[in-house]
Amino acid sequence: MISDIENLKDEIKKTVITDKESLEAFRLRFLSRKGKLQSMFGNMQNVPKKDRSRVGKAMNEVKELAETKFNTQKKALQNKKKTRFKATDDLTLPVSPEYAGSLHPLTQTENEMKNIFLRLGFDVADGPEIEDDFHNFTSLNFPPDHPARDMQDTFFIRKSDKKEVQDLVMRTHTSPVQIRLMKDQPPPIRSVIPGRVYRNEAVTAKSYFQFNQMEGLYVDHKVTMGELIETLVMFARLMYGSDVKYRVRPSFFPFTEPSIEMDVWWESDSDGQWLEILGAGMVDPNVFEACGLDPETYTGYAFGMGVDRIAMLRYGINDIRILYENDIRFLDQFTG
Amino acid sequence: MKISFNWLKNYVDINLDSREIANKLTLLGLEVEQTESFGADLEGFIVGEVLNVIEHPFADKLHLCKVSTGEKELQIVCGADNVARGQKVPVATVGSTIPKPMDDGSSLVVKKIKLRGEDSEGMICSEMELEIGQDHSGIMVLDPELQAGTDLSEALKLVKDTIFDIGLTPNRPDASCHIGVARDLAAVLQTDLNNPYKNTPGETEPLDEWIDIEIRDPKQCHRYVAKIVKNVTVEESPPWLKNQLRSIGLRPINNVVDVTNYVLHEIGQPLHAFDYEKLNDEKIVVQSYKETRSFTTLDDIERNVPAGTLFICDGKEPIAIAGVMGGLNSEVTRATQHVLIESAYFDPSSIRKTSKHLGLQTDSSYRFERGIDPNLARRAAERAAELIVEIAGGEVLNGCTDNHPVKSLPQKVGFRLKKLNNLLGTKIKIDQARKILDRLEIETRASGTDELQCTIPTFRPDLTREVDLIEEIGRIYDYNNIPSPESTPFYSPAPISDWEILKNRIRSIASRLKYKEISSNSLLSEREEGYFSSEDEQIRTLNPVSQEATTLRTSLLGGFLKILQFNLNRNAKQLRFFEIGNVYRKSDKGTWIDGIEEHTKLLLGICGFRSTENWLDKAQYFTVFDLKSDLESLLDQTSILDQLEIEFHSREELRYIQNDQVLARLIKIPDHLNEVFDIKLPAFAAEIDLTLLNKAGFGKIEKTYKEVPRFPTFEYDAAYIVDEKVTAGRLSEIIHQTAGEILHNLEVFDVFEGENLGKNKKSIAFRLTFLDPNKTLTINDVEPIVQKVTKALEQMVGAILRS
Repeated sequence: MISDIENLKDEIKKTVITDKESLEAFRLRFLSRKGKLQSMFGNMQNVPKKDRSRVGKAMNEVKELAETKFNTQKKALQNKKKTRFKATDDLTLPVSPEYAGSLHPLTQTENEMKNIFLRLGFDVADGPEIEDDFHNFTSLNFPPDHPARDMQDTFFIRKSDKKEVQDLVMRTHTSPVQIRLMKDQPPPIRSVIPGRVYRNEAVTAKSYFQFNQMEGLYVDHKVTMGELIETLVMFARLMYGSDVKYRVRPSFFPFTEPSIEMDVWWESDSDGQWLEILGAGMVDPNVFEACGLDPETYTGYAFGMGVDRIAMLRYGINDIRILYENDIRFLDQFTG
Repeated sequence: MKISFNWLKNYVDINLDSREIANKLTLLGLEVEQTESFGADLEGFIVGEVLNVIEHPFADKLHLCKVSTGEKELQIVCGADNVARGQKVPVATVGSTIPKPMDDGSSLVVKKIKLRGEDSEGMICSEMELEIGQDHSGIMVLDPELQAGTDLSEALKLVKDTIFDIGLTPNRPDASCHIGVARDLAAVLQTDLNNPYKNTPGETEPLDEWIDIEIRDPKQCHRYVAKIVKNVTVEESPPWLKNQLRSIGLRPINNVVDVTNYVLHEIGQPLHAFDYEKLNDEKIVVQSYKETRSFTTLDDIERNVPAGTLFICDGKEPIAIAGVMGGLNSEVTRATQHVLIESAYFDPSSIRKTSKHLGLQTDSSYRFERGIDPNLARRAAERAAELIVEIAGGEVLNGCTDNHPVKSLPQKVGFRLKKLNNLLGTKIKIDQARKILDRLEIETRASGTDELQCTIPTFRPDLTREVDLIEEIGRIYDYNNIPSPESTPFYSPAPISDWEILKNRIRSIASRLKYKEISSNSLLSEREEGYFSSEDEQIRTLNPVSQEATTLRTSLLGGFLKILQFNLNRNAKQLRFFEIGNVYRKSDKGTWIDGIEEHTKLLLGICGFRSTENWLDKAQYFTVFDLKSDLESLLDQTSILDQLEIEFHSREELRYIQNDQVLARLIKIPDHLNEVFDIKLPAFAAEIDLTLLNKAGFGKIEKTYKEVPRFPTFEYDAAYIVDEKVTAGRLSEIIHQTAGEILHNLEVFDVFEGENLGKNKKSIAFRLTFLDPNKTLTINDVEPIVQKVTKALEQMVGAILRS
């Protein structure tokens, strides 16, 4: 009996399973109800009682062997099926890159500038783009026959011959917001004012009828030109790097006295040149008076710079029209 | 404005090179925009004496010249017919480079060559070849007194010069001439100014026998001075004068006109020279006319001069447009014998107007419109007369007619040192301040401790207030020398405004939703804006820069569609754009300005494919619901969505309303606009009024933590059959109202139409998600609510629950 069992054991071991068919043949031959194991167990009754526990144990061992072999081979066959390299197993298949949102380069530049001034203690103010003559010109000390008041330079919305009806213009600078701030609240005032401004200029690579400015205003007791220059230098260092080379030179604006402009040294491949980055000055006493502030009590400084120009320098854009074309292949370069 | 470095040296001692001077000028506020060099080197060019001229044996048109260069005799082949024995001529020796480039732009280097078999060891040059004149009719013939062998540039007094191109600010009329620039330079170099106009002229007799001057319009003409030089010889100016004028870009005319131009650029007083004998009735009348007049100016152009323009007339007719340009009828020519020099002061705004009307800016009008020194007229006229006699001979008539109806006296301005140092942040001493003012010819008198009474010279009309004097001191002191503040004050910054926060949040949300920001034009063409608004609400500029930009946008849609068109034309397939910008329309109540509503809006827009065809998926177009989802996500992130009423306005438009105001719109771009803007892919846009959103208080971020629900939700599906006109929005509204707060979420998971539902019917299947924060819900809790909902739907819109 025992030897029969041993033979069966050998037979199980020797039976080769290579595929689904031979696996099924194995099951039928050994494990099914008519299989060899079942008939082996059927012979149990012929085993003498004293041997039964020994033979039973051996039979169980054979059964276990067959079952283990069957299950292992079955799993192996299944695994074998899985390892087939399907088309979609190919991780090199391309995907479309995810469409990304982005901020316009003008916004990114403006944000960068704004953030510097926020660190320097300024807040951010806003005003309308359609302005009246008082805010855009008169209060800013523009004489009545100043060229900026020409139709050639400024977009007029309304031109009035009557004294009581003001001209309306598309603001030519963000400075009118200074006037609104000084009229609306007592000093100290410490704000930057970013925004869109308009000039009656043909569209070319160098000029556009709209562009963006950022204005700054600080009014308080005892504000000095020294502080103005210090503020502008801090801005230049944070914007262009701490080793930026700069200079300040006298200039002229109707609404500041003294007036200055600041240049930074711009390196190029061959050599460098001074590039003007902003205009500034001490608030003109006439401007204070137009806002009902006493120029003997308060002093203040103001500065203004072109966001488009700074963005163009920053990104090496040589044609201002590109900024307003909004070609997606251009905008794509400013993601992230 | 061009300023010659050499010319400046006439008035101030300069030990610095041109680069250092350019830098000084810029730091003085006379910004040097460009520096050019003027004058050729003329290295290897000498004066030669023509010893002999014979015909070239083998060429008809060439001559063989023996030329002495002092040391040597050269044979030079020359083609010019005016070459003759005994002449002194400019010779380019072998190895020198001809200044005028050849036609192809390259330079001609003189070599020893054979010309038709004859040696030629140099070149005899014309004015044009030397680039010192226009004459190319023949060789240039020099002063016979010159020594052969003399360096040509020395012989012609041609010196190399540097020309500064200064961008003059409008407040500095005094600096529009060489002496004005030299005065600033002398102040900063702390040296003296050598000013030939310094002396105040004494008493004088009018030239009544010669001329009668009448100013009929003293408002426009404050002063008119006439000086006469008789028996002049009008001819070409000497080389030094021609050269000086050429260096600053002027074309020499003749010795008389050249002198007037020289004085203009020396001291800034525009002058005009009339041929005295051409003046009718020995009269000059300064007047304007009530009607437009035709007048031929010196440049031989007949101009229509508008009424009111100031003219200089003789006894009969106009002879010059005052302050702008003289007339052809009184021009100084070679035949002129006696010259009348006009030196006047015209009102700046009058000249500005004339110059603008005529579209004609001259060196003269440029200075008058900025405001010249009203007290300079006589000195300038006298200086010109002296120079004319020096150069053109003749004799200055004693006396001078000086008609001066409007006089300008020097202004007095007080100055406090304390104010200076407080404004600039400096520690300048009174002596230092005084020294600077002195050099600028501002007279100072002490009027108290550290206070001055200043007398402003009349050539500085820009200095009227203390702060103007502070600027003068500041710019000579150099702003770059202002010390850094000793301590930085501690600022207490104001909080960032809600408006600023809102705009930043919106930008950040929109870009997170994968929209790219665009920046479109505020001005559209009439036609483009006409698609979005009616004429009576539009605002237009009175003076558009082009027909493409006449009308202010009332919405951001037009700009968006134009940008879509631009990108689709370049084969873009997938576009998601946003823009924040102002829009403007006429309105009863204004936002900032009466009658004008100016709001800031946000546009979200999509166009084309959500996904293009790839191996995973088929191509899918965007639908309006893609945009709706983003719009509502944005509104939800600004915490306002729950408070909006949604109005199904039309098949093309859904509105989000708060307090009867349209806060946002969702728009399917209609076919006719797609056609107009050539948009061949589906496009959708949404516009949100940020001004209203901010007013409603949604700029603030006020978030409070709410406990996350601990109990699970319970989902229940229910489909209703309704009439096709009943909207999902209406059903949702009823469901929400009826179910109350326990209804946590409501989704539509299926919509369909079909014959089996009945005619004009549709089915909408909802998934209701219930949540009770205090317990786990069971079917027993939910079923009664659903029944209530079903009943409400049935009663209100005739909905039938599908089993």
